[in-house]
Amino acid sequence: MLPRRIYQFFLIYLLGILVLLSLKYGLQLSDYVIPGPKTLWQTALEVFPRYALDVWNTLQVALIGQVMSIVLALAIGIPGRSTTWFGNFIKAAAYNVQAYPIVAIAPIIFILLGDGFLSRLLIAAMICYFPILLTVLGVMSEPVADVEHFYRCTGRMRWQLEVKIRAFENLHKLTTVIAGSATLAMAGTIVAEFIAANAGIGYSIRIALYQSDLARILVALLLIGICLSVYQGLLEHTGSLVKKAWTGSA
Amino acid sequence: MNGKTGKRNSLLAAAWILIVLTLAVAGAPEGRAWAGTLNYRLKWIYNASVIGDLYASGKGYFRAAGLEVKVRPGGPERDALRELELGYADFGVASADQVIRAVAKGAPLVVVAQLFQVNPLQWLYRTGKGMIRKLDDLKGRTIGITYGKNDEIIMRTLLAKAGIGRGQVEFYSVRLDYTPFLRGKVDLWPVYANTQAVFLRDKLSRAGEETALFVPGDFGVRFVANSVVTSEKLFKRNPELVKRFVGALLAGWKAALDVKHQKEALAILRQVDRDTPLRILKTQLEITRRLVMPRSGPPLGTIDFEGWRQTERIMLEQGQIKAPVKILSCLKPML
Repeated sequence: MLPRRIYQFFLIYLLGILVLLSLKYGLQLSDYVIPGPKTLWQTALEVFPRYALDVWNTLQVALIGQVMSIVLALAIGIPGRSTTWFGNFIKAAAYNVQAYPIVAIAPIIFILLGDGFLSRLLIAAMICYFPILLTVLGVMSEPVADVEHFYRCTGRMRWQLEVKIRAFENLHKLTTVIAGSATLAMAGTIVAEFIAANAGIGYSIRIALYQSDLARILVALLLIGICLSVYQGLLEHTGSLVKKAWTGSA
Repeated sequence: MNGKTGKRNSLLAAAWILIVLTLAVAGAPEGRAWAGTLNYRLKWIYNASVIGDLYASGKGYFRAAGLEVKVRPGGPERDALRELELGYADFGVASADQVIRAVAKGAPLVVVAQLFQVNPLQWLYRTGKGMIRKLDDLKGRTIGITYGKNDEIIMRTLLAKAGIGRGQVEFYSVRLDYTPFLRGKVDLWPVYANTQAVFLRDKLSRAGEETALFVPGDFGVRFVANSVVTSEKLFKRNPELVKRFVGALLAGWKAALDVKHQKEALAILRQVDRDTPLRILKTQLEITRRLVMPRSGPPLGTIDFEGWRQTERIMLEQGQIKAPVKILSCLKPML
């Protein structure tokens, strides 16, 4: 699964580069607009080690941010599944926070948390948590009628059991959205680094953008893509292991 | 997967690649004939720094020269120089470091006028810790710089000039918001003297804090700012049109900065910047006037050849370009 994912990413990346190069040579554009293969290669040699460390730095934050967002989505989604006033209040608050553009909230985050690791983490988690929250809310609001009816009739139903039943019945949905949200965690961290940090690949891309250096950006995209493919592949693998452990089948 | 399916998939993939390539090339801009509307891409969003451009457009200076010009705002995600080469823009505004970087990568560009005679990029600081009268006064201060941007190059040049080493100043990475400066965490903050500096100084002055500007030019670093650029192709094929454009643009700038037309200029600024109080806009306009048309300076639009030469030398010294680009050959004053 993992090698296939990486191979597919390389195919997409190469296709993208091919399109850019066709444009470059078709329209006779300079290296400033689209870098040529030689410039790309030289830039890659120059920045690869530094950018690899930057991507690793970003991935670490994304990973913690994703775990945070899963915890956050569960913490909001489980009480939010009920149709009580409190459940609705939590949902309204969660939806509203998501509606605000992150750049508008960023100054408040800087004031509260400074401009280092914590700000990056929080912004990454904020961007990543919403799709997980929606899935959790969807899954948790949908009763598994037969099973739940049995426990209700026997008087053994508690909220923890209700959550477990609904999670078990929708395990595939939950693991899929968690694996998919890795992309958002990475994107969220990169956005945070763009506006808040002094480290990570988002910060390096920002500098490259200031200098209109497309070659550096393309190298950064390659590394982000490889990193994300590996990360997602591992998440999917972990998801299938969890399913196997819970259900006894892959 | 059997051989037949594999072959079919490969064919499908090849067809997709072909379609994408065809669409990409078909969607790309073709060479313009320069008939009809000219696109003029600014460096930044609409503010006092572009008042002359807006005035020339709004008051019919381009039309009087027989030109239909669409003035488009710039911004961090827009690059006028790239648009010139791609044919999306016919004229653009860029700072010297942007132009030099593009020329170093083979972009065929020509600089036809220089708008700012004094670079508006300066550093704001509180005078509480003492005035900065010599470069040595920077020692022990925390200086805000935007890594990768021209303020980093300028500050590093100034520090190198004064022989100030790494441990003697502290750098702070500047971002979008001013909180670190307002809270006193950073001593010097890079600002545009005619825009951000005006409202920041106003804010701090109302809080009882006195401020001053650290001007790199006062210490011999002349880093050229906003200039008007076009493509080599347009310059060669239609020099008459370029001349008419530059003439109309500079006439617009001259009128906009004329005290007699201040009311109209402010009205134009007000239309595009409704949130800034009028008194701030007025100050911004006055400072822009001093930067574009310094009292004892050269005529409006003059290209400062020595400034460009120095900018190229600084960029070479700072490793921003790998080899000299002979930038003077790209300067074609159209005054």
